[in-house]
Amino acid sequence: MQSFALNADTGAPRVDVPFHLVVALRVRERVAHIDNLELPMLAELELLGDERRLQTGPQGTLYNETVTVVAHHGGILTIGPALLQAVDTRDRRAKQYSTNGLTLQIAGAPPSFGGVEEAAQRFSSAAFRLALIAFGIACAIAVIGFVVVRRRSPVAAVVEDVPYEPIASRPPRSMDDELRDALRVLRAEPSQANAVLVRALVWCMLGADAGRTLTDVLQRPEAAEPVMRDVLRSLERAAFTYDGDVPAALDGARDALERYLEVRAT
Amino acid sequence: MTIAQPSDVRTALSRTIVGQHGVVDALLLALLADGHVLLEGPPGLAKTLACRCLAAALQGEFKRIQFTPDLLPSDIVGTRIFDQHEAAFATVLGPIFANVVLADEINRAPAKVQSALLEAMQERQVTIGPQTHPLPDPFIVMATMNPLDAEGTYALPVAQMDRFLMKINVGYPGPEEELEILERFAIAHTQPLRDVASLDDVRAWRARVQAVHVDAKLKAYIVALVSKTRDAGDVSVTGSDGNARRVADCIAYGASPRATLALTHLSRARALLDGRDFALPDDVRAIAPNVLRHRVGFNYRLPADGIAPDRAIDALVAAVPAP
Repeated sequence: MQSFALNADTGAPRVDVPFHLVVALRVRERVAHIDNLELPMLAELELLGDERRLQTGPQGTLYNETVTVVAHHGGILTIGPALLQAVDTRDRRAKQYSTNGLTLQIAGAPPSFGGVEEAAQRFSSAAFRLALIAFGIACAIAVIGFVVVRRRSPVAAVVEDVPYEPIASRPPRSMDDELRDALRVLRAEPSQANAVLVRALVWCMLGADAGRTLTDVLQRPEAAEPVMRDVLRSLERAAFTYDGDVPAALDGARDALERYLEVRAT
Repeated sequence: MTIAQPSDVRTALSRTIVGQHGVVDALLLALLADGHVLLEGPPGLAKTLACRCLAAALQGEFKRIQFTPDLLPSDIVGTRIFDQHEAAFATVLGPIFANVVLADEINRAPAKVQSALLEAMQERQVTIGPQTHPLPDPFIVMATMNPLDAEGTYALPVAQMDRFLMKINVGYPGPEEELEILERFAIAHTQPLRDVASLDDVRAWRARVQAVHVDAKLKAYIVALVSKTRDAGDVSVTGSDGNARRVADCIAYGASPRATLALTHLSRARALLDGRDFALPDDVRAIAPNVLRHRVGFNYRLPADGIAPDRAIDALVAAVPAP
Protein backbone atom coordinates (compact mmCIF):
# COMPACT_ATOMS: atom_id res chain seq x y z
CA MET A 1 0.00 0.00 0.00
CA GLN A 2 1.61 3.24 -1.15
CA SER A 3 -1.25 5.65 -0.68
CA PHE A 4 -4.93 5.56 0.12
CA ALA A 5 -6.74 8.90 0.21
CA LEU A 6 -10.16 10.48 0.00
CA ASN A 7 -10.47 13.90 -1.67
CA ALA A 8 -13.16 16.20 -3.00
CA ASP A 9 -12.77 18.09 -6.26
CA THR A 10 -13.86 21.26 -4.52
CA GLY A 11 -13.19 22.57 -1.06
CA ALA A 12 -16.47 24.49 -0.94
CA PRO A 13 -19.31 22.73 -2.72
CA ARG A 14 -22.62 24.51 -3.14
CA VAL A 15 -26.14 23.37 -2.43
CA ASP A 16 -27.69 21.53 -5.40
CA VAL A 17 -24.47 21.69 -7.39
CA PRO A 18 -22.97 18.25 -8.09
CA PHE A 19 -19.38 17.62 -7.07
CA HIS A 20 -17.04 14.64 -6.94
CA LEU A 21 -15.49 12.61 -4.17
CA VAL A 22 -12.41 10.68 -5.26
CA VAL A 23 -10.99 7.63 -3.48
CA ALA A 24 -7.45 7.04 -4.77
CA LEU A 25 -5.57 3.88 -3.94
CA ARG A 26 -2.06 3.05 -5.07
CA VAL A 27 -0.36 -0.30 -4.42
CA ARG A 28 2.96 -1.75 -5.53
CA GLU A 29 1.48 -5.00 -6.76
CA ARG A 30 -0.36 -5.57 -10.03
CA VAL A 31 -3.90 -6.50 -9.08
CA ALA A 32 -6.79 -7.22 -11.44
CA HIS A 33 -9.57 -5.95 -9.21
CA ILE A 34 -10.22 -4.23 -5.87
CA ASP A 35 -12.95 -6.05 -3.98
CA ASN A 36 -13.17 -4.97 -0.38
CA LEU A 37 -13.33 -1.21 -0.64
CA GLU A 38 -15.97 0.26 1.63
CA LEU A 39 -17.03 3.83 0.84
CA PRO A 40 -17.91 6.19 3.70
CA MET A 41 -21.54 6.79 4.60
CA LEU A 42 -22.97 9.56 2.44
CA ALA A 43 -26.37 9.78 4.09
CA GLU A 44 -26.57 13.58 3.80
CA LEU A 45 -25.74 13.57 0.09
CA GLU A 46 -27.64 12.39 -2.96
CA LEU A 47 -25.64 9.86 -4.95
CA LEU A 48 -25.66 10.64 -8.66
CA GLY A 49 -23.05 8.29 -10.05
CA ASP A 50 -20.05 6.08 -9.32
CA GLU A 51 -17.14 5.54 -11.72
CA ARG A 52 -14.27 3.11 -11.07
CA ARG A 53 -10.97 3.08 -12.91
CA LEU A 54 -8.14 0.60 -12.51
CA GLN A 55 -4.75 1.13 -14.08
CA THR A 56 -1.85 -1.26 -13.80
CA GLY A 57 1.68 -0.67 -14.86
CA PRO A 58 5.22 -1.71 -14.08
CA GLN A 59 5.16 0.37 -10.91
CA GLY A 60 1.98 -1.10 -9.54
CA THR A 61 -1.73 -0.43 -9.62
CA LEU A 62 -3.65 2.80 -9.37
CA TYR A 63 -7.33 2.60 -8.51
CA ASN A 64 -9.63 5.62 -8.61
CA GLU A 65 -13.27 5.59 -7.61
CA THR A 66 -15.09 8.82 -8.39
CA VAL A 67 -18.45 9.30 -6.72
CA THR A 68 -20.66 12.09 -8.03
CA VAL A 69 -22.83 13.55 -5.29
CA VAL A 70 -24.96 16.59 -4.61
CA ALA A 71 -25.87 18.26 -1.30
CA HIS A 72 -29.35 19.65 -0.77
CA HIS A 73 -28.65 21.45 2.51
CA GLY A 74 -26.01 23.97 3.52
CA GLY A 75 -23.67 23.75 6.52
CA ILE A 76 -20.70 21.68 7.64
CA LEU A 77 -20.59 18.19 6.16
CA THR A 78 -18.37 15.55 7.73
CA ILE A 79 -17.50 12.48 5.70
CA GLY A 80 -15.86 9.51 7.41
CA PRO A 81 -12.93 7.56 5.99
CA ALA A 82 -13.18 4.92 3.26
CA LEU A 83 -12.02 1.48 4.41
CA LEU A 84 -10.21 -1.32 2.64
CA GLN A 85 -9.75 -4.87 3.87
CA ALA A 86 -6.77 -6.48 2.17
CA VAL A 87 -4.06 -9.05 2.72
CA ASP A 88 -0.67 -7.50 3.37
CA THR A 89 1.75 -9.33 1.06
CA ARG A 90 4.62 -8.74 3.46
CA ASP A 91 3.26 -10.88 6.26
CA ARG A 92 0.19 -12.48 4.60
CA ARG A 93 -2.13 -11.08 7.27
CA ALA A 94 -5.54 -9.56 6.69
CA LYS A 95 -5.51 -5.86 7.55
CA GLN A 96 -7.86 -2.94 7.42
CA TYR A 97 -6.67 0.33 5.92
CA SER A 98 -8.52 3.62 6.04
CA THR A 99 -8.32 6.95 4.27
CA ASN A 100 -8.55 10.35 5.85
CA GLY A 101 -11.99 11.80 6.56
CA LEU A 102 -13.28 15.00 4.98
CA THR A 103 -15.00 18.07 6.35
CA LEU A 104 -16.66 20.27 3.76
CA GLN A 105 -18.45 23.58 4.13
CA ILE A 106 -21.54 23.42 1.92
CA ALA A 107 -22.29 26.94 0.81
CA GLY A 108 -25.92 28.14 0.62
CA ALA A 109 -28.13 28.22 -2.47
CA PRO A 110 -26.53 28.14 -5.93
CA PRO A 111 -25.97 31.51 -7.56
CA SER A 112 -29.26 32.97 -8.73
CA PHE A 113 -29.36 34.86 -12.01
CA GLY A 114 -33.08 35.86 -11.83
CA GLY A 115 -35.59 36.05 -14.68
CA VAL A 116 -34.57 34.27 -17.86
CA GLU A 117 -31.30 33.07 -16.38
CA GLU A 118 -33.13 31.45 -13.45
CA ALA A 119 -35.53 29.69 -15.83
CA ALA A 120 -32.59 28.54 -17.90
CA GLN A 121 -30.89 27.32 -14.74
CA ARG A 122 -33.97 25.35 -13.73
CA PHE A 123 -34.25 23.98 -17.24
CA SER A 124 -30.62 22.96 -17.31
CA SER A 125 -30.98 21.32 -13.88
CA ALA A 126 -34.00 19.36 -15.07
CA ALA A 127 -32.21 18.48 -18.29
CA PHE A 128 -29.21 17.34 -16.25
CA ARG A 129 -31.40 15.06 -14.15
CA LEU A 130 -33.10 13.68 -17.26
CA ALA A 131 -29.71 13.05 -18.82
CA LEU A 132 -28.58 11.28 -15.68
CA ILE A 133 -31.68 9.07 -15.66
CA ALA A 134 -31.13 8.23 -19.34
CA PHE A 135 -27.48 7.53 -18.58
CA GLY A 136 -28.46 5.25 -15.71
CA ILE A 137 -30.89 3.28 -17.90
CA ALA A 138 -28.24 2.97 -20.61
CA CYS A 139 -25.73 1.71 -18.04
CA ALA A 140 -28.20 -0.87 -16.73
CA ILE A 141 -28.87 -2.14 -20.27
CA ALA A 142 -25.14 -2.28 -20.94
CA VAL A 143 -24.49 -4.24 -17.73
CA ILE A 144 -27.28 -6.74 -18.50
CA GLY A 145 -25.95 -7.14 -22.04
CA PHE A 146 -22.44 -7.60 -20.71
CA VAL A 147 -23.56 -10.29 -18.26
CA VAL A 148 -25.46 -12.14 -21.00
CA VAL A 149 -22.47 -12.04 -23.33
CA ARG A 150 -20.15 -13.24 -20.56
CA ARG A 151 -22.41 -16.18 -19.78
CA ARG A 152 -22.49 -17.21 -23.41
CA SER A 153 -18.77 -17.03 -24.01
CA PRO A 154 -16.50 -16.63 -21.02
CA VAL A 155 -13.44 -14.62 -21.83
CA ALA A 156 -10.32 -14.02 -19.82
CA ALA A 157 -10.31 -10.77 -17.87
CA VAL A 158 -8.21 -8.13 -19.59
CA VAL A 159 -6.50 -5.66 -17.36
CA GLU A 160 -5.80 -2.33 -18.95
CA ASP A 161 -2.06 -1.79 -19.02
CA VAL A 162 -1.48 1.92 -19.26
CA PRO A 163 1.56 4.00 -18.45
CA TYR A 164 1.90 4.84 -14.80
CA GLU A 165 0.81 8.39 -14.07
CA PRO A 166 1.83 9.75 -10.70
CA ILE A 167 -0.94 11.73 -9.03
CA ALA A 168 -0.36 14.89 -7.11
CA SER A 169 -0.60 14.16 -3.41
CA ARG A 170 -1.91 16.54 -0.80
CA PRO A 171 0.23 17.43 2.19
CA PRO A 172 -0.03 14.65 4.79
CA ARG A 173 -2.64 15.18 7.48
CA SER A 174 -1.61 14.94 11.09
CA MET A 175 -3.04 12.45 13.55
CA ASP A 176 -4.77 15.30 15.35
CA ASP A 177 -6.48 16.37 12.09
CA GLU A 178 -7.81 12.86 11.69
CA LEU A 179 -9.03 12.78 15.28
CA ARG A 180 -10.76 16.14 14.87
CA ASP A 181 -12.59 14.70 11.86
CA ALA A 182 -13.46 11.61 13.86
CA LEU A 183 -14.86 13.80 16.63
CA ARG A 184 -16.96 15.68 14.07
CA VAL A 185 -18.31 12.38 12.77
CA LEU A 186 -19.30 11.29 16.28
CA ARG A 187 -20.94 14.66 16.92
CA ALA A 188 -22.78 14.82 13.60
CA GLU A 189 -23.98 11.24 13.56
CA PRO A 190 -23.61 9.57 16.95
CA SER A 191 -24.13 5.86 16.40
CA GLN A 192 -22.48 2.61 17.39
CA ALA A 193 -21.57 1.96 13.74
CA ASN A 194 -19.65 5.26 13.61
CA ALA A 195 -17.97 4.44 16.90
CA VAL A 196 -16.74 1.20 15.32
CA LEU A 197 -15.39 3.19 12.34
CA VAL A 198 -13.66 5.73 14.56
CA ARG A 199 -12.21 2.90 16.67
CA ALA A 200 -10.77 1.31 13.51
CA LEU A 201 -9.35 4.69 12.45
CA VAL A 202 -7.65 5.31 15.81
CA TRP A 203 -6.20 1.80 15.90
CA CYS A 204 -4.88 2.24 12.37
CA MET A 205 -3.28 5.57 13.34
CA LEU A 206 -1.56 3.91 16.28
CA GLY A 207 -0.12 1.32 13.91
CA ALA A 208 -2.16 -1.57 15.29
CA ASP A 209 -3.25 -4.25 12.86
CA ALA A 210 -6.93 -4.86 12.38
CA GLY A 211 -7.88 -8.00 14.22
CA ARG A 212 -5.98 -7.21 17.40
CA THR A 213 -7.67 -6.69 20.75
CA LEU A 214 -7.65 -3.65 23.01
CA THR A 215 -5.01 -5.22 25.24
CA ASP A 216 -2.68 -5.54 22.24
CA VAL A 217 -3.22 -1.89 21.29
CA LEU A 218 -2.73 -0.64 24.85
CA GLN A 219 0.67 -2.34 24.92
CA ARG A 220 1.89 -0.26 21.99
CA PRO A 221 4.19 2.66 22.87
CA GLU A 222 1.97 4.95 20.77
CA ALA A 223 -0.83 4.34 23.26
CA ALA A 224 1.23 5.20 26.33
CA GLU A 225 -0.39 8.60 27.00
CA PRO A 226 -3.18 8.31 29.59
CA VAL A 227 -5.50 10.51 27.51
CA MET A 228 -5.05 8.24 24.50
CA ARG A 229 -5.71 5.17 26.65
CA ASP A 230 -8.96 6.81 27.75
CA VAL A 231 -9.88 7.34 24.09
CA LEU A 232 -9.19 3.69 23.29
CA ARG A 233 -11.14 2.37 26.27
CA SER A 234 -14.11 4.66 25.68
CA LEU A 235 -14.29 3.72 21.99
CA GLU A 236 -14.11 0.03 22.92
CA ARG A 237 -17.05 0.50 25.25
CA ALA A 238 -19.02 2.43 22.60
CA ALA A 239 -18.34 -0.30 20.03
CA PHE A 240 -19.46 -3.26 22.14
CA THR A 241 -21.88 -2.09 24.79
CA TYR A 242 -25.62 -2.77 24.82
CA ASP A 243 -28.14 -0.48 23.10
CA GLY A 244 -29.27 1.28 26.28
CA ASP A 245 -25.71 2.28 27.14
CA VAL A 246 -24.70 3.43 23.64
CA PRO A 247 -25.62 7.15 24.10
CA ALA A 248 -23.66 7.40 27.36
CA ALA A 249 -20.76 5.46 25.83
CA LEU A 250 -20.71 7.79 22.82
CA ASP A 251 -20.70 10.79 25.15
CA GLY A 252 -17.75 9.24 26.91
CA ALA A 253 -15.92 8.66 23.64
CA ARG A 254 -16.50 12.25 22.50
CA ASP A 255 -15.34 13.60 25.87
CA ALA A 256 -12.22 11.45 25.73
CA LEU A 257 -11.42 12.61 22.19
CA GLU A 258 -11.94 16.25 23.20
CA ARG A 259 -9.68 15.83 26.23
CA TYR A 260 -7.01 14.22 24.09
CA LEU A 261 -7.13 17.06 21.55
CA GLU A 262 -7.06 19.67 24.31
CA VAL A 263 -4.01 18.07 25.89
CA ARG A 264 -2.30 17.85 22.51
CA ALA A 265 -3.10 21.51 21.78
CA THR A 266 -1.46 22.61 25.02
CA MET B 1 -23.78 -3.34 54.58
CA THR B 2 -21.90 -3.63 51.31
CA ILE B 3 -22.83 -6.31 48.80
CA ALA B 4 -20.00 -8.71 48.04
CA GLN B 5 -18.62 -8.67 44.51
CA PRO B 6 -16.82 -11.47 42.63
CA SER B 7 -13.66 -9.37 42.68
CA ASP B 8 -13.76 -9.44 46.51
CA VAL B 9 -13.37 -13.22 46.39
CA ARG B 10 -10.48 -12.87 43.96
CA THR B 11 -8.76 -10.40 46.28
CA ALA B 12 -9.32 -12.69 49.27
CA LEU B 13 -7.97 -15.74 47.43
CA SER B 14 -4.91 -13.80 46.31
CA ARG B 15 -4.11 -13.04 49.94
CA THR B 16 -3.76 -16.74 50.66
CA ILE B 17 -2.53 -18.16 47.37
CA VAL B 18 0.74 -16.77 46.10
CA GLY B 19 0.74 -16.20 42.35
CA GLN B 20 -1.38 -18.67 40.36
CA HIS B 21 -3.58 -15.79 39.21
CA GLY B 22 -4.67 -17.88 36.24
CA VAL B 23 -5.93 -20.64 38.52
CA VAL B 24 -7.73 -18.25 40.86
CA ASP B 25 -9.41 -16.44 37.96
CA ALA B 26 -10.34 -19.74 36.29
CA LEU B 27 -12.00 -21.01 39.47
CA LEU B 28 -13.97 -17.80 39.81
CA LEU B 29 -14.96 -17.75 36.14
CA ALA B 30 -16.15 -21.35 36.34
CA LEU B 31 -18.10 -20.49 39.48
CA LEU B 32 -19.75 -17.51 37.76
CA ALA B 33 -20.44 -19.40 34.54
CA ASP B 34 -21.81 -22.42 36.43
CA GLY B 35 -19.27 -24.86 35.02
CA HIS B 36 -16.50 -27.20 36.10
CA VAL B 37 -12.73 -26.95 35.80
CA LEU B 38 -10.00 -29.42 34.95
CA LEU B 39 -6.62 -28.49 36.41
CA GLU B 40 -3.49 -30.14 35.06
CA GLY B 41 -0.17 -29.64 36.76
CA PRO B 42 2.49 -31.27 38.92
CA PRO B 43 1.79 -31.85 42.63
CA GLY B 44 2.41 -29.08 45.15
CA LEU B 45 1.11 -26.15 43.17
CA ALA B 46 -1.70 -25.11 45.54
CA LYS B 47 -4.49 -26.68 43.52
CA THR B 48 -6.13 -28.18 46.61
CA LEU B 49 -5.51 -25.05 48.65
CA ALA B 50 -7.19 -22.90 45.99
CA CYS B 51 -10.29 -25.10 45.97
CA ARG B 52 -10.48 -25.22 49.76
CA CYS B 53 -10.08 -21.45 50.01
CA LEU B 54 -12.79 -20.86 47.43
CA ALA B 55 -15.23 -22.98 49.40
CA ALA B 56 -14.30 -21.20 52.63
CA ALA B 57 -14.64 -17.77 51.05
CA LEU B 58 -18.18 -18.62 49.93
CA GLN B 59 -19.22 -20.28 53.20
CA GLY B 60 -19.78 -23.41 51.15
CA GLU B 61 -19.14 -27.06 51.88
CA PHE B 62 -15.89 -28.51 50.54
CA LYS B 63 -15.23 -32.23 49.85
CA ARG B 64 -12.19 -33.90 48.41
CA ILE B 65 -12.23 -37.24 46.61
CA GLN B 66 -8.90 -38.91 45.96
CA PHE B 67 -9.32 -40.99 42.79
CA THR B 68 -7.60 -44.39 42.92
CA PRO B 69 -7.79 -47.48 40.68
CA ASP B 70 -9.98 -49.33 43.21
CA LEU B 71 -12.50 -46.50 43.67
CA LEU B 72 -16.16 -47.42 43.01
CA PRO B 73 -18.97 -45.19 41.74
CA SER B 74 -20.79 -45.64 45.05
CA ASP B 75 -17.76 -44.14 46.83
CA ILE B 76 -18.54 -40.90 45.02
CA VAL B 77 -22.29 -40.63 44.68
CA GLY B 78 -23.38 -42.66 47.73
CA THR B 79 -25.09 -45.97 48.34
CA ARG B 80 -27.97 -47.70 50.10
CA ILE B 81 -27.20 -49.73 53.21
CA PHE B 82 -29.46 -52.00 55.16
CA ASP B 83 -30.39 -50.64 58.59
CA GLN B 84 -30.95 -53.63 60.85
CA HIS B 85 -32.77 -51.62 63.52
CA GLU B 86 -35.26 -50.18 61.07
CA ALA B 87 -35.22 -53.28 58.86
CA ALA B 88 -35.06 -51.04 55.79
CA PHE B 89 -32.57 -49.65 53.33
CA ALA B 90 -31.20 -46.18 54.11
CA THR B 91 -29.41 -43.91 51.69
CA VAL B 92 -25.95 -42.62 52.52
CA LEU B 93 -25.00 -39.70 50.31
CA GLY B 94 -21.48 -39.63 48.92
CA PRO B 95 -18.87 -36.86 49.04
CA ILE B 96 -20.15 -35.39 45.79
CA PHE B 97 -22.88 -33.66 47.81
CA ALA B 98 -20.92 -30.49 48.48
CA ASN B 99 -20.68 -27.04 46.96
CA VAL B 100 -17.03 -27.34 45.98
CA VAL B 101 -15.77 -30.83 45.13
CA LEU B 102 -12.13 -31.53 44.45
CA ALA B 103 -11.70 -34.66 42.33
CA ASP B 104 -8.00 -35.26 42.85
CA GLU B 105 -6.15 -37.12 40.09
CA ILE B 106 -9.33 -37.97 38.24
CA ASN B 107 -7.44 -40.02 35.66
CA ARG B 108 -6.36 -42.60 38.26
CA ALA B 109 -9.84 -44.14 38.48
CA PRO B 110 -11.34 -46.40 35.81
CA ALA B 111 -13.85 -45.15 33.26
CA LYS B 112 -17.00 -46.25 35.14
CA VAL B 113 -16.03 -44.11 38.15
CA GLN B 114 -15.13 -41.15 35.96
CA SER B 115 -18.43 -41.41 34.12
CA ALA B 116 -20.36 -41.53 37.42
CA LEU B 117 -18.78 -38.23 38.41
CA LEU B 118 -19.15 -36.62 35.01
CA GLU B 119 -22.79 -37.67 34.74
CA ALA B 120 -23.47 -36.01 38.09
CA MET B 121 -21.64 -32.90 36.86
CA GLN B 122 -23.85 -32.73 33.81
CA GLU B 123 -27.21 -33.69 35.31
CA ARG B 124 -26.72 -31.88 38.64
CA GLN B 125 -28.46 -34.77 40.35
CA VAL B 126 -27.68 -38.32 41.47
CA THR B 127 -29.95 -41.33 41.43
CA ILE B 128 -29.35 -43.88 44.19
CA GLY B 129 -31.73 -46.80 44.09
CA PRO B 130 -35.24 -45.52 43.46
CA GLN B 131 -34.53 -41.98 44.64
CA THR B 132 -33.07 -39.01 42.79
CA HIS B 133 -31.16 -36.51 44.89
CA PRO B 134 -30.43 -33.01 43.54
CA LEU B 135 -26.91 -31.75 44.11
CA PRO B 136 -26.35 -28.55 46.11
CA ASP B 137 -26.51 -25.21 44.33
CA PRO B 138 -23.96 -23.84 43.59
CA PHE B 139 -22.07 -26.99 42.69
CA ILE B 140 -18.63 -26.88 41.14
CA VAL B 141 -16.19 -29.70 40.50
CA MET B 142 -12.50 -29.06 40.22
CA ALA B 143 -10.75 -32.11 38.86
CA THR B 144 -6.98 -32.39 38.81
CA MET B 145 -4.66 -34.43 36.63
CA ASN B 146 -0.98 -35.03 37.21
CA PRO B 147 0.94 -35.06 33.91
CA LEU B 148 4.08 -36.62 35.43
CA ASP B 149 3.02 -40.13 36.51
CA ALA B 150 1.23 -41.40 33.43
CA GLU B 151 1.56 -45.08 34.32
CA GLY B 152 -1.61 -46.73 35.59
CA THR B 153 -3.84 -43.87 34.53
CA TYR B 154 -7.04 -43.92 32.49
CA ALA B 155 -7.26 -41.13 29.95
CA LEU B 156 -10.53 -39.24 30.06
CA PRO B 157 -12.72 -39.92 27.01
CA VAL B 158 -13.25 -37.02 24.60
CA ALA B 159 -16.96 -36.73 25.38
CA GLN B 160 -16.20 -36.44 29.09
CA MET B 161 -13.41 -33.91 28.65
CA ASP B 162 -15.90 -31.78 26.73
CA ARG B 163 -18.01 -31.44 29.88
CA PHE B 164 -15.35 -29.39 31.61
CA LEU B 165 -15.88 -25.74 30.89
CA MET B 166 -12.15 -25.07 31.02
CA LYS B 167 -8.86 -26.85 31.31
CA ILE B 168 -6.13 -24.94 33.09
CA ASN B 169 -2.46 -25.77 32.89
CA VAL B 170 -0.99 -25.00 36.31
CA GLY B 171 2.63 -23.97 36.06
CA TYR B 172 5.43 -23.57 38.57
CA PRO B 173 5.69 -20.23 40.36
CA GLY B 174 8.44 -17.77 39.49
CA PRO B 175 11.46 -17.28 41.82
CA GLU B 176 9.93 -14.20 43.48
CA GLU B 177 6.62 -15.96 44.05
CA GLU B 178 8.39 -19.00 45.44
CA LEU B 179 10.29 -16.77 47.87
CA GLU B 180 7.00 -15.28 49.01
CA ILE B 181 5.58 -18.80 49.46
CA LEU B 182 8.59 -19.64 51.61
CA GLU B 183 8.11 -16.59 53.82
CA ARG B 184 4.35 -16.84 54.04
CA PHE B 185 4.10 -20.58 54.73
CA ALA B 186 7.15 -20.81 56.98
CA ILE B 187 4.90 -19.39 59.70
CA ALA B 188 2.84 -22.05 61.44
CA HIS B 189 -0.48 -21.07 59.93
CA THR B 190 -1.46 -18.89 57.06
CA GLN B 191 -3.98 -16.09 57.43
CA PRO B 192 -7.37 -17.83 57.63
CA LEU B 193 -9.74 -16.83 54.86
CA ARG B 194 -12.89 -15.23 56.22
CA ASP B 195 -16.36 -15.60 54.79
CA VAL B 196 -16.11 -13.11 51.95
CA ALA B 197 -19.40 -13.86 50.28
CA SER B 198 -22.32 -16.24 50.63
CA LEU B 199 -23.84 -18.88 48.40
CA ASP B 200 -26.76 -16.50 47.84
CA ASP B 201 -24.26 -13.97 46.49
CA VAL B 202 -23.03 -16.60 44.03
CA ARG B 203 -26.57 -17.21 42.79
CA ALA B 204 -27.07 -13.43 42.38
CA TRP B 205 -23.78 -13.10 40.46
CA ARG B 206 -24.84 -15.88 38.12
CA ALA B 207 -28.06 -14.04 37.35
CA ARG B 208 -26.02 -10.92 36.56
CA VAL B 209 -23.70 -12.93 34.30
CA GLN B 210 -26.68 -13.99 32.23
CA ALA B 211 -27.55 -10.32 31.71
CA VAL B 212 -24.10 -9.32 30.44
CA HIS B 213 -24.36 -8.11 26.84
CA VAL B 214 -22.52 -9.98 24.09
CA ASP B 215 -22.49 -7.95 20.89
CA ALA B 216 -23.34 -9.58 17.55
CA LYS B 217 -19.79 -8.87 16.31
CA LEU B 218 -18.46 -10.77 19.30
CA LYS B 219 -20.76 -13.73 18.73
CA ALA B 220 -19.53 -13.94 15.14
CA TYR B 221 -15.95 -13.84 16.45
CA ILE B 222 -16.65 -16.71 18.86
CA VAL B 223 -18.16 -18.83 16.09
CA ALA B 224 -15.19 -18.04 13.83
CA LEU B 225 -12.76 -19.09 16.56
CA VAL B 226 -14.44 -22.44 17.10
CA SER B 227 -14.80 -23.00 13.34
CA LYS B 228 -11.08 -22.38 12.95
CA THR B 229 -10.38 -25.48 15.06
CA ARG B 230 -12.31 -27.55 12.51
CA ASP B 231 -10.94 -25.90 9.39
CA ALA B 232 -7.58 -24.36 10.23
CA GLY B 233 -6.83 -23.30 6.65
CA ASP B 234 -3.19 -22.36 6.20
CA VAL B 235 -2.40 -21.59 9.84
CA SER B 236 1.07 -22.87 10.62
CA VAL B 237 3.50 -23.23 13.53
CA THR B 238 7.22 -23.80 13.51
CA GLY B 239 8.36 -27.32 14.36
CA SER B 240 11.48 -28.34 16.24
CA ASP B 241 13.34 -28.62 12.90
CA GLY B 242 12.59 -24.96 12.15
CA ASN B 243 10.18 -25.76 9.35
CA ALA B 244 6.61 -24.50 9.28
CA ARG B 245 3.99 -27.18 9.86
CA ARG B 246 0.34 -26.69 8.84
CA VAL B 247 -1.85 -26.98 11.95
CA ALA B 248 -4.66 -28.42 9.84
CA ASP B 249 -2.52 -31.49 9.17
CA CYS B 250 -2.10 -32.05 12.91
CA ILE B 251 -5.75 -31.77 13.99
CA ALA B 252 -7.69 -34.99 14.46
CA TYR B 253 -10.95 -33.29 15.49
CA GLY B 254 -12.09 -29.75 16.25
CA ALA B 255 -14.05 -28.24 19.10
CA SER B 256 -17.75 -28.97 19.54
CA PRO B 257 -20.59 -26.41 19.75
CA ARG B 258 -20.24 -26.80 23.52
CA ALA B 259 -17.04 -24.78 23.09
CA THR B 260 -19.05 -21.99 21.46
CA LEU B 261 -21.41 -21.91 24.43
CA ALA B 262 -18.53 -22.09 26.89
CA LEU B 263 -16.75 -19.15 25.24
CA THR B 264 -19.93 -17.08 25.39
CA HIS B 265 -20.67 -17.89 29.05
CA LEU B 266 -17.09 -17.35 30.13
CA SER B 267 -16.69 -14.07 28.25
CA ARG B 268 -19.79 -12.86 30.10
CA ALA B 269 -18.35 -14.06 33.40
CA ARG B 270 -15.00 -12.39 32.72
CA ALA B 271 -16.75 -9.11 31.91
CA LEU B 272 -18.61 -9.26 35.23
CA LEU B 273 -15.43 -10.12 37.11
CA ASP B 274 -13.91 -7.03 35.52
CA GLY B 275 -16.89 -4.90 36.58
CA ARG B 276 -18.44 -4.53 33.11
CA ASP B 277 -21.93 -5.36 31.87
CA PHE B 278 -20.78 -5.95 28.28
CA ALA B 279 -18.19 -8.37 26.94
CA LEU B 280 -15.18 -7.38 24.85
CA PRO B 281 -13.00 -9.19 22.29
CA ASP B 282 -10.30 -9.25 24.99
CA ASP B 283 -12.56 -11.43 27.16
CA VAL B 284 -12.99 -13.98 24.40
CA ARG B 285 -9.33 -14.02 23.43
CA ALA B 286 -8.17 -14.35 27.04
CA ILE B 287 -10.28 -17.42 27.77
CA ALA B 288 -10.09 -19.08 24.35
CA PRO B 289 -6.99 -21.24 25.05
CA ASN B 290 -8.52 -22.54 28.30
CA VAL B 291 -11.76 -23.43 26.53
CA LEU B 292 -10.22 -24.99 23.41
CA ARG B 293 -7.20 -26.75 24.93
CA HIS B 294 -9.03 -29.96 25.88
CA ARG B 295 -11.57 -29.85 23.07
CA VAL B 296 -9.23 -29.98 20.09
CA GLY B 297 -7.66 -33.36 19.37
CA PHE B 298 -4.24 -33.56 17.75
CA ASN B 299 -2.79 -36.51 15.90
CA TYR B 300 0.72 -37.96 16.08
CA ARG B 301 2.22 -35.29 13.81
CA LEU B 302 2.16 -32.59 16.50
CA PRO B 303 4.37 -34.37 19.06
CA ALA B 304 6.43 -35.84 16.23
CA ASP B 305 7.31 -32.30 15.16
CA GLY B 306 8.06 -31.26 18.72
CA ILE B 307 5.16 -28.81 18.84
CA ALA B 308 3.35 -28.29 22.14
CA PRO B 309 -0.46 -28.43 21.75
CA ASP B 310 -0.79 -25.01 23.39
CA ARG B 311 1.33 -23.45 20.64
CA ALA B 312 -0.98 -24.84 18.01
CA ILE B 313 -4.02 -23.55 19.93
CA ASP B 314 -2.41 -20.12 20.28
CA ALA B 315 -1.71 -20.06 16.53
CA LEU B 316 -5.35 -20.92 15.79
CA VAL B 317 -6.60 -18.19 18.13
CA ALA B 318 -4.19 -15.62 16.70
CA ALA B 319 -5.27 -16.45 13.15
CA VAL B 320 -8.82 -15.25 13.73
CA PRO B 321 -8.97 -11.44 13.64
CA ALA B 322 -10.84 -9.92 16.55
CA PRO B 323 -13.70 -7.57 15.64
